[in-house]
Amino acid sequence: MVRLVFLGKFGDVAPAGLAEIALPGGVRTLKELKDWVARQEPLLGAAMDATRTRLIVNQCVAHDLSQPVADGDEVAFLPPMSGG
Amino acid sequence: MDIRITPQAFDPQAEIAAFTAGRDDAGALVSFVGTCRAANGGVAVEELRIDHYPGFTEKEIARLAQETSHRFDCPDLLVVHRVGAIRPGEAIVLVAALSMHRSNAFEMVRVLMDYLKTDAPLWKKETGPNGVRWIEPRAEDYARRLEVEKGPKAGKERT
Repeated sequence: MVRLVFLGKFGDVAPAGLAEIALPGGVRTLKELKDWVARQEPLLGAAMDATRTRLIVNQCVAHDLSQPVADGDEVAFLPPMSGG
Repeated sequence: MDIRITPQAFDPQAEIAAFTAGRDDAGALVSFVGTCRAANGGVAVEELRIDHYPGFTEKEIARLAQETSHRFDCPDLLVVHRVGAIRPGEAIVLVAALSMHRSNAFEMVRVLMDYLKTDAPLWKKETGPNGVRWIEPRAEDYARRLEVEKGPKAGKERT
């Protein structure tokens, strides 16, 4: 299983059913995972396309979307941050 | 260095008093407190909610604080940041820096606040009469962040 975490405005449009998924067939990289999510949830896909989206894998920043995804990973989708 | 993320309301004055109690090794204390406004751009704010990513948010804020305190040679630093539901008038963030001299403490707090605006994994959502809106950094926040990146190192003048 792969845990998916959607932060900020992505969390508003992500259904609870996406919180934990079996790694879909054909998904081996972060790019493929992000594209799969966008196909499953077009609203979420549109929200991610409309802004800068950063991916965090097992609490470490992913600098390259060709990075592999494996069973047991936690992948977080982050919109632009607004602290302070 | 004390870095905390809290869902509870906090008293900035009490935090600063505890942070500075018994300290006679620093000649300067600079603090900044950001509070929740009752209106943003003329629109009433009923509630501010700050979303965070447990574990990652703490780690990233600690990293930003560590990097900035090395850069400005601040011997001690306090950061308290609220998450969850916040009401107008309540403190959102407190940054306090102790340093030998004022210039480094001022710069430390200013630069860390600029980083927190654009680089801390926190997401603000305002609820008002027109519904809900997510806040994103403004162009000027990113511009200030760039200035901070290329800015000179802290000066050496005495208090």
